[in-house]
Amino acid sequence: MKKFPLKWPLVGSAAFFASLMFIVPLYGATVYSFKGNGGKGHSWANYQWLIHQDGFYPALFTSLKLAVLAAALNLVLMVPTMVFLNLKGKRYKSLVDFLCILPLIIPVVSLAIGAQVAMPKFLQNTQYELVFFFVIIALPYTYRALDTSLQTVALKTLVEASRSLGASWASTIIRVIVPAIRSGITGALFLTFALSIGEYTITSLLHWETFPTWTVVAGQQNILGAIAISVFSFVGAIALLSIIALLPKRNAERVEVEE
Amino acid sequence: MTDALPLLPFFLFTGFFLIWPVVAVTLRSFKGNSNEWTLANYRPILHSGPYAHAFFVSLKLSLVTGVIGALLGAFFAYVIVKYAHGKFGAVIDSISAVFANSGGVPLAFMFVAAFGTEGIVTKILKDLGWDIYAGHFTIFSFTGVVMVYSFFQVPLMVLVFKPAIAGLRQEWVEASINLGANPFTYWRRVGIPILVPSFVGAFFLLFAGGFSAYATARALTVGTVPLVPIIIGTLVDGNVVSDQTNLGDALAVGMIVVATIVMAGYIWAQRQAAKWRS
Repeated sequence: MKKFPLKWPLVGSAAFFASLMFIVPLYGATVYSFKGNGGKGHSWANYQWLIHQDGFYPALFTSLKLAVLAAALNLVLMVPTMVFLNLKGKRYKSLVDFLCILPLIIPVVSLAIGAQVAMPKFLQNTQYELVFFFVIIALPYTYRALDTSLQTVALKTLVEASRSLGASWASTIIRVIVPAIRSGITGALFLTFALSIGEYTITSLLHWETFPTWTVVAGQQNILGAIAISVFSFVGAIALLSIIALLPKRNAERVEVEE
Repeated sequence: MTDALPLLPFFLFTGFFLIWPVVAVTLRSFKGNSNEWTLANYRPILHSGPYAHAFFVSLKLSLVTGVIGALLGAFFAYVIVKYAHGKFGAVIDSISAVFANSGGVPLAFMFVAAFGTEGIVTKILKDLGWDIYAGHFTIFSFTGVVMVYSFFQVPLMVLVFKPAIAGLRQEWVEASINLGANPFTYWRRVGIPILVPSFVGAFFLLFAGGFSAYATARALTVGTVPLVPIIIGTLVDGNVVSDQTNLGDALAVGMIVVATIVMAGYIWAQRQAAKWRS
């Protein structure tokens, strides 16, 4: 097969389209966010305006708190579930798989309306009801992250070894399995945290104030401030994920055990 | 059944926070104002009018952004698989992941900053002699929403379609050459037929995502483009006077029905694609 000199035309046009689609809006928003008062010059004014607004820290704190709780609850619920599924419950796997895909199928708006209809009053009266729905929304991603990770370890051998040395189930999960699937757990934690901290749909439809809903309200008073926070959260997310992608993979050092 | 006891917390959790809300909203969508069983809530959706129109606009938006996302994303995915390796590839992966999940409030504000009437890009283009606001375009219009949605649809396509391209085996290329094929014959007879099911599946996924997206459109349009999720939102906020209290429920169930049909297409396409991987 004759080699066609396609590399540079292909890479070039991909780079061109990508910069048009992604760099241009990002660049535009970044420049805009540094506009000075009255649109003159450049300054940090919009960023400073934002952090001095009423409700900035409470909203940020609420979001952080709910995201941490959601990430923690997600692990407490899903790590034992996924370990059991891969160890003894293989015949329930397709059912659990289906339930974990559902949040991608059911539109979040519909889930939010359903929550209003179905949740008991005592839950609807507290912002902590959001934690449960953040966990639901994260399920498709958590399931994949943990499942992929569990399939790379010799689960049965590890469990048998640990149990025959007299460890309880709880201590087997915490001291043997959790360290072995650390990369999957980190991924699940991070995804749940990121999804929760940016969640807008359910939060606003259930009328709670978190950082994203606060940003929309603040943006109605001062669009420059809202743009500043948008740029900040966007660039922050890219930086964080890129750092995580570049971290050396600890799993590679793991001793392989044949099943 | 008793052997499934460790799964009880999971089933209770998803049953209560996922299944029960869906069942509850479905049941209530068949109830009238005085709690009697009725189909009246669905009438405004099935007959022409603002609600049927909203479904039409939502479907059109999902179709257009799905097609744009699928075509451009597939092209990017091919170039990335072929030419981006190692750490550069890893960074591109995580950037795609961030962009694919960027369909939130920040994205809307960023596009206003770039392409709004006073936006930076708008001004630069104007200085270059192209006034994008000379015609009907605004960032708050249907075209504007398509632009913003493409920002997350294209990277989503890259994420879901990349494995399919990476799965094309070098042996197939070699086998084709040995049988006398040139690159075009290889793509026409082998490469593209293998990729079509994955491509269609990924398109369905993009379609479903575009159909359900709420935050970006809400922050961007404030109702200028009639989309079903936005209308449900305004009904819930009580900004719209409706003589039917449970109309929003019927719209929500309508969205679930559309999403289910689309995802059935996705699952079917996935099965077709899996045939080649065994």
